[in-house]
Amino acid sequence: MINVKQLTKRFGDLVVLDRIDVEIDKGDVICVIGPSGAGKSTFLRCLNMLETPSSGQIIFEGNDLTDPKVNLNLHRQRMGMVFQQFNLFPHMTVMDNLTCAPIMLKKEPKEKAEARARELLRRVGLEDRADAWPSQLSGGQKQRVAIVRALCMEPDVMLFDEPTSALDPEMVGEVLEVMKNLAKAGMTMVVVTHEMGFAREVANRILFLSDGAIMEEGTPQAIFQNPQCDRLKGFLAKVL
Amino acid sequence: MSAWLTTLHQTFIETGYWRQMLLGLQNTIMITLGALCIGVAFGAILAICKYFSEGNRALRPLEILCDTYTTVIRGIPMMVLLLVFFFVVFSGTRNKLGVCILAFGLNSAAYVAEIVRSGINAVDRGQMEAGRSLGMSKLQAMRKVIMPQAIRNILPAIGNEMIALVKETSVAGYVGVMDLTKMGERAKSITFDAVNPLLVVAVTYLIIVLGLTRLLGTVERRLNRDKR
Ligand SMILES: Nc1ncnc2c1ncn2[C@@H]1O[C@H](COP(=O)(O)OP(=O)(O)OP(=O)(O)O)[C@@H](O)[C@H]1O
Ligand SMILES: [Mg+2]
Repeated sequence: MINVKQLTKRFGDLVVLDRIDVEIDKGDVICVIGPSGAGKSTFLRCLNMLETPSSGQIIFEGNDLTDPKVNLNLHRQRMGMVFQQFNLFPHMTVMDNLTCAPIMLKKEPKEKAEARARELLRRVGLEDRADAWPSQLSGGQKQRVAIVRALCMEPDVMLFDEPTSALDPEMVGEVLEVMKNLAKAGMTMVVVTHEMGFAREVANRILFLSDGAIMEEGTPQAIFQNPQCDRLKGFLAKVL
Repeated sequence: MSAWLTTLHQTFIETGYWRQMLLGLQNTIMITLGALCIGVAFGAILAICKYFSEGNRALRPLEILCDTYTTVIRGIPMMVLLLVFFFVVFSGTRNKLGVCILAFGLNSAAYVAEIVRSGINAVDRGQMEAGRSLGMSKLQAMRKVIMPQAIRNILPAIGNEMIALVKETSVAGYVGVMDLTKMGERAKSITFDAVNPLLVVAVTYLIIVLGLTRLLGTVERRLNRDKR
């Protein structure tokens, strides 16, 4: 579904990603782990071109997103993204947050967009918060709304950048639960996370990113029980 | 007290000069509103040009042009700008009010541009990214996501700009535009009443400014109604 070829990203002289190759298939749930500053966010943001790669290609469903001629906006509609800081639109109610993009971009009738939004809100346990403002929600509720906002565009893949890192500990569970259900429903997901429990339980593949390269990748089993490189061993010793 | 009222009566009513004062007030208001319209429209265009040209090589000349405009205008006193407009750019014009409005408007635009720019910049970067990640174009995200939030920072500052503008228009008399201040001065020299015309002028400005300040407070409360 997404084919990353020789992806390189530099900020000035700093090489953050160095010729990375990854293949993401339909239905994959991939967790990206690694030390702070390793380039995990940059990698994820390159996938939907929020960050422009310095070189290399991102092939999404057969389209090379790094080609300047490609209509990025159209492809981004099919790649949902969830941010660490939620980034809900504070001047819109929850319902408007959820329906503004489908109505504006897909020309959906308001009723249809709202019906879908309500159904998805129900699934994350927030059906009674449709008319609230984002400022009235707790962190965990905000992040669930943010996930639903991305889902309302009916994306083919969901990108998560540390979706629980800004949350109080007691709210992490409710967000991870939503993500687990999403994975069970067959959504293709790429998740940057520090939640090793989640990675172990939900991911079918784990990428260990360090020093701008994918130092090791494999099943949760292989990564956690049988790490090969010293970097990964050191990293796991610290976080587990 | 009654002596003072008699003087007021003599100065403004008996001479019929109250009509001139009203005319002056009308001109002051027209200059202010006209200049504000030009200032907001042109200022917003400048700010948006700057927003889209920042960090875009191809649009670098546009960025330089916008920067130069704001720097130059903000570096010149309004009075000097007004003289330049009347005696250099539009020397011999017969539409004094029009030129005056234009001068104040173009001056205001530079300040409004800065207001709009900083209003846009104050909106969290993540907002644009969230909009773009949903598939909005930069322009769509600007319209739907950034601007409605930026307006909250911008409107109060525009209100302050308007208050400053009302008071600043009092120099228009120097180039022969019959604004409130000028009319007050004329009333003074015609009626030989040195105190009351200026008093009335000062109080009129004060009332306008107080009215605008209250209006601004109301607008601000409305804008922030979802921030609980
Ligand atoms: N816009 C930018 N300009 C310059 N340097 C940047 C920029 N964005 C990221 N970097 C640098 O790139 C490196 C990788 O950043 P990135 O945010 O991808 O790391 P990360 O793995 O997500 O870390 P964390 O776990 O702390 O989120 C860091 O050294 C960071 O300082
Ligand atoms: Mg990060």
